[in-house]
Amino acid sequence: MPKVTYIEASGEQHVVDVAVDESVMRGALYNDVPGIIGECGGACSCATCRCYVDDAWAAKAGTPESDAERELLEGADETKPNARLSCQITMTSELDGLVVRLPEKQF
Amino acid sequence: MPIDAAHPVPPVFPRFAGPDQIPPHVPKELVRSVGLTTGPEFLASPHDFMAKLHETQPPIFYDVNPYGNAWLFLKHEDALFALRHWEYFSNEGATPFPRDPNDYFYFIPIEIDPPHHRKYRNIVDPLFSPKGVLKLESLIRQRASDLIDGFIDKGECEFTTAFGRPLPVSVFLDIMGLPQDMRDTFVSWAIDLLHAPDRATMGRAMQNIVAYIKQAIAEKKAHPDEGVVSRIAHAAPDGQPLSDKEVFGFVVFLFIGGLDTVFATLNNMWLWLAQNPERCKEIIDRPDDIDKVVEELLRRWSVTFSGRVIAQDIEMRGVKMKKGDRITCVLPACNFDPEVFPNPLEVDFDRPRKTIMAFTVGVHSCMGAHLARLEVKIALQEWLKRIPEFSVKPGAPIIYRPGGVVGPEYVPLVWKK
Repeated sequence: MPKVTYIEASGEQHVVDVAVDESVMRGALYNDVPGIIGECGGACSCATCRCYVDDAWAAKAGTPESDAERELLEGADETKPNARLSCQITMTSELDGLVVRLPEKQF
Repeated sequence: MPIDAAHPVPPVFPRFAGPDQIPPHVPKELVRSVGLTTGPEFLASPHDFMAKLHETQPPIFYDVNPYGNAWLFLKHEDALFALRHWEYFSNEGATPFPRDPNDYFYFIPIEIDPPHHRKYRNIVDPLFSPKGVLKLESLIRQRASDLIDGFIDKGECEFTTAFGRPLPVSVFLDIMGLPQDMRDTFVSWAIDLLHAPDRATMGRAMQNIVAYIKQAIAEKKAHPDEGVVSRIAHAAPDGQPLSDKEVFGFVVFLFIGGLDTVFATLNNMWLWLAQNPERCKEIIDRPDDIDKVVEELLRRWSVTFSGRVIAQDIEMRGVKMKKGDRITCVLPACNFDPEVFPNPLEVDFDRPRKTIMAFTVGVHSCMGAHLARLEVKIALQEWLKRIPEFSVKPGAPIIYRPGGVVGPEYVPLVWKK
């Protein structure tokens, strides 16, 4: 199963298995990774699953895919170019090893 | 001290109701009696009434009524804060449905605060996730299409009974693994529980539901299947099977949450569509924007409220609230907060995406939200494909009943055969 490394704002790292087709948000929730809330459950509606895609992965996973995602990130005053909603990143075998950093707080 | 879900006891929080029971810390100038869900102005046009509260009332005020006094929150920002801070705004004791004090149970997971809450959500979340509900797409589409087959040639239908009610309830029963032939009985129980004007009727409905659910759980324990009831009955988080009280409280809560809300949502939306034929055309002409359409219609036509009990004293907007006070976030009003959604009553499919309150927010955010979005989307697509032009039957009165789930009682529709 592909692996994702979540790095909390404190620097603490969590390396967990996330199944192909599962979202990076749910990968955190199901494995008790703190720092991602995902309160809307992945509907691209709450902006509480924000993450920053590590530079090395920016080309593969660093760009929002819809107007809704961009608008929610703006609404959350998110200015970093590598910010994503992790519910909108779907795991693939190409993303095995993905590294995402988590914000200090989601709201 | 967190509650022990396996050994439920009735809450000891006092319930204040009526003008004689206003706690002394509530300032007189913030005491109002607006008739939310019950008054004539509300019942004349509930969503217009809730939008207007922003002009007529302070953002936080103390509403007095015979069913239970509470602080009402109107602002989007305040509701987000309250619903995301369970350490101040607790769900323990916040669900108003009557239960037998001698056989008490908690509604799970809504009455369980973190951290235990997640344990329950993880049992069912995979089934209700965006990916999980997509498996139902073709079944929902088929059910919608079959229902339309039943009345399209007549050129008219009473929407709530012909489509708004049977579609979501059928889908819910499929997910739960419960029999379709009980559909109308389930709905009438839910209506009595959620819309009854008196607590005695609510209590009787609850008794019927309790008896049915207990029997259904016993059957699933003996004969496991893929449905949600069976999944809960056999769940063992961390290797520890749920107690009978937990299983029961979980199933009965999904029953209440799942039966009436999408029903009311569809009824509201179809009344508006029937009154706005040019908007139906717009939806038909923008098939790729269906998700935006669904999100905006959910904002405009949210149907319910979120109640909490204050767990520690807190001050917001200069208002001092005390432990034990109840609050109600008026979710439809929050969706009409002009600071967040300018020109709030206007349906605008191109609004920038913001957090809508249709499914509430925070850890108790609706677990059925993805299913609801999918049902609304499919209902719109299938209906407008077959019946692109329709209107309200001339002379038909539109009536709203009091209750915690807001929608028109009947929506008689006509179209060209």
